[in-house]
Amino acid sequence: MRPQDFGPSLEAQWVRVRARLKGEFGEAAYKSWLKPLTLVGIDDGVARIAVPTRFMQDWVRQHYADRIKTLWRAENKMVRTVEILVQAAAGNQAPAAIPATGTAQRPTASAAARNVYGSANAQANGQAANRATSSPQAANAAAQTALQTAMIGRTQDDVESFGAPLDPRFTFETFVQGKSNEFAAAAARRVADEGKVPFNPLFLYGGVGLGKTHLMHAMAWHIRKRNPQRRVVYLSAEKFMYQFIRAMRFKDTMSFKEQFRSVDVLLVDDVQFISGKDATQEEFFHTFNALVDQNKQIVLSADKSPADLEGLEDRVRSRLGWGLVADIHPTTYELRLGILQSKAEKLGTPMPPKVLEFLAHKIVANVRELEGALNRIVAHSTLVGRPIGLESAQEVLHDLLRASDRRVTIEEIQKKVAEHFAIRLADMHSPRRARQVARPRQVAMYLAKQLTSRSLPEIGRKFGGRDHTTVMHAVRKIDELRAADAAFSEDVELLRRMLEA
Amino acid sequence: MPAQLPLALPHRPSLGGSDFLVADANRAAVAWLDAWPDWPSPGLVVWGETGCGKSHLAATWQMRAAAVRLAAQDLAVASVPTLLGAAKAILLEDVDRKPPEPVAWLHLYNLLAERGGHMLLTARAAPARWQIALPDLASRLRALAAVEIAAPDESLVEAVLVKHFADRQMRVPTETVRYIVTRLDRSLGAVARIAADLDAASLAGKRPASIPLAREVLRDAGFAA
Repeated sequence: MRPQDFGPSLEAQWVRVRARLKGEFGEAAYKSWLKPLTLVGIDDGVARIAVPTRFMQDWVRQHYADRIKTLWRAENKMVRTVEILVQAAAGNQAPAAIPATGTAQRPTASAAARNVYGSANAQANGQAANRATSSPQAANAAAQTALQTAMIGRTQDDVESFGAPLDPRFTFETFVQGKSNEFAAAAARRVADEGKVPFNPLFLYGGVGLGKTHLMHAMAWHIRKRNPQRRVVYLSAEKFMYQFIRAMRFKDTMSFKEQFRSVDVLLVDDVQFISGKDATQEEFFHTFNALVDQNKQIVLSADKSPADLEGLEDRVRSRLGWGLVADIHPTTYELRLGILQSKAEKLGTPMPPKVLEFLAHKIVANVRELEGALNRIVAHSTLVGRPIGLESAQEVLHDLLRASDRRVTIEEIQKKVAEHFAIRLADMHSPRRARQVARPRQVAMYLAKQLTSRSLPEIGRKFGGRDHTTVMHAVRKIDELRAADAAFSEDVELLRRMLEA
Repeated sequence: MPAQLPLALPHRPSLGGSDFLVADANRAAVAWLDAWPDWPSPGLVVWGETGCGKSHLAATWQMRAAAVRLAAQDLAVASVPTLLGAAKAILLEDVDRKPPEPVAWLHLYNLLAERGGHMLLTARAAPARWQIALPDLASRLRALAAVEIAAPDESLVEAVLVKHFADRQMRVPTETVRYIVTRLDRSLGAVARIAADLDAASLAGKRPASIPLAREVLRDAGFAA
């Protein structure tokens, strides 16, 4: 092993890591467990830290190794992992010192990989890591692969465990801009690009599913990438609430406060969910003020502007509006089409332009539902192994597209069919057997069988008290005619569609 | 002499995945459930009318996904983290008739989505038809993958009827089966009910499951005989 490079900068980094540990875990924990740590050195990406006893080694590995690793990584990009050694072993590098690279990082790595939502590849790696845990080497290798697969900044999630993981799909690169969201997007970019705090807070608001969360994740990714030292925490307001409730229950509000007040950038999504929750709101307000006082960036989102948020105290409401308030408007047709094209490209599935235009035209409520619809079409085509076409798309989304699922009734079928063939409605029930009324009646029976869940005797009764065998005969007859006569078949199909529309 | 009362011997419906009858009506739903965990959204909605086989499919998935089944009435904002625990798969049934409290439901959705988990929802109607007052939740639910189980066709009705008889260890002649199938609504709920009724009537009257008995049972159940 090479002699350790133990220069003044490394010493300074270690001092800062220790200071952070002290701040995060509190005086008592620091005294018992962290103060006795000594830095042995950094070699080949491994920071070696020594403790006096084997028991302490286990304890520190279990409770602090992850944290130490991430703090080290923030200080020094060369550090890949942290080893906790027992003092004596650290001195002479005896083989008895079991490398501590294992347990602490392994679950983290696989969890991080599995959290890369929607990425089957990373998922597979996560499972590989799980399977391989019987062999430390294999597990380590698998964990490494998983880590590499996980995106930049991912590993920071374990230290910022009180935040929520970031969705790798939500970056600035994947954000499709249009008139309705360009102001909010520009504000988000500005905040993410600046080293200083341009406006505090940045408050994004707009209706559901229009891209607020996407912009917030994009900002967090961007800031982490540009400056890994900055502690960026993203979470939803309800998660803030749950953690606060938990902290109160365990009488641990001090560390809760410490946690949130030591971040550099705090992004809180959907703040409307803390309105009316007085204690949570109060705590949030304190956190907010503390961070603003320290000149730390805060980004908030809600479904309404600060002025319109109900259930907030006036002093809170007014402070939320101090910075820049940017709204996102409902999408335009062009933006929806742009989003669909970009998304389809990413999915790598050939998608007829007609289908995209159809979706952009029909699904106007919000982007989330638009993407949901596209996902459904693509997944359905994969599942049933059929190419995507306008008709299949309409079929898959029929519940979204149709105004109601009300089942068509036998009476409606009779009426429509009578109109179509220009016969009297009464002929549906009459005993007349003339071909010009008998055939339409059979078509109506056939459609009643296809489109309702009524039994054959029930259908027969609705057609002037006919026997169920008559209905069976009609169904067979129409099936035969459809097979033999394409024009007739199209006619029946047209009726079916009109009735289902 | 009063009719002999049949003991309610609990017959055991087999709920194993391989035992489920796959037909056109439910093929897409089965494919979606089989595809788990590769769903394009944090959840799947399986919807269809009573007795279309939703619960059977849901139970099969629950077993495979080791999913936690939650009852709507237990979901409250404060209890969400506890109920969810470390689960990565959740089953909520009958959500359009018994919807959970919307804010709690939204939090459950968010926490689950955040950890890359999934929820399976069953309902009578499609998500677009649910009355959800909270827009944040409504849009999330409408964006979920959703698949309908259609009303069963005649061959499925027949197959399920035969399966019900087999589950009940009943010997029913083919002509009786055909007789019932042509007279029954196309609903698996109706199938289950008629199988139970016929079983009970046959035991009570010590009569074979013949067409005349089936006619009586159908008539008593309100179906045109």
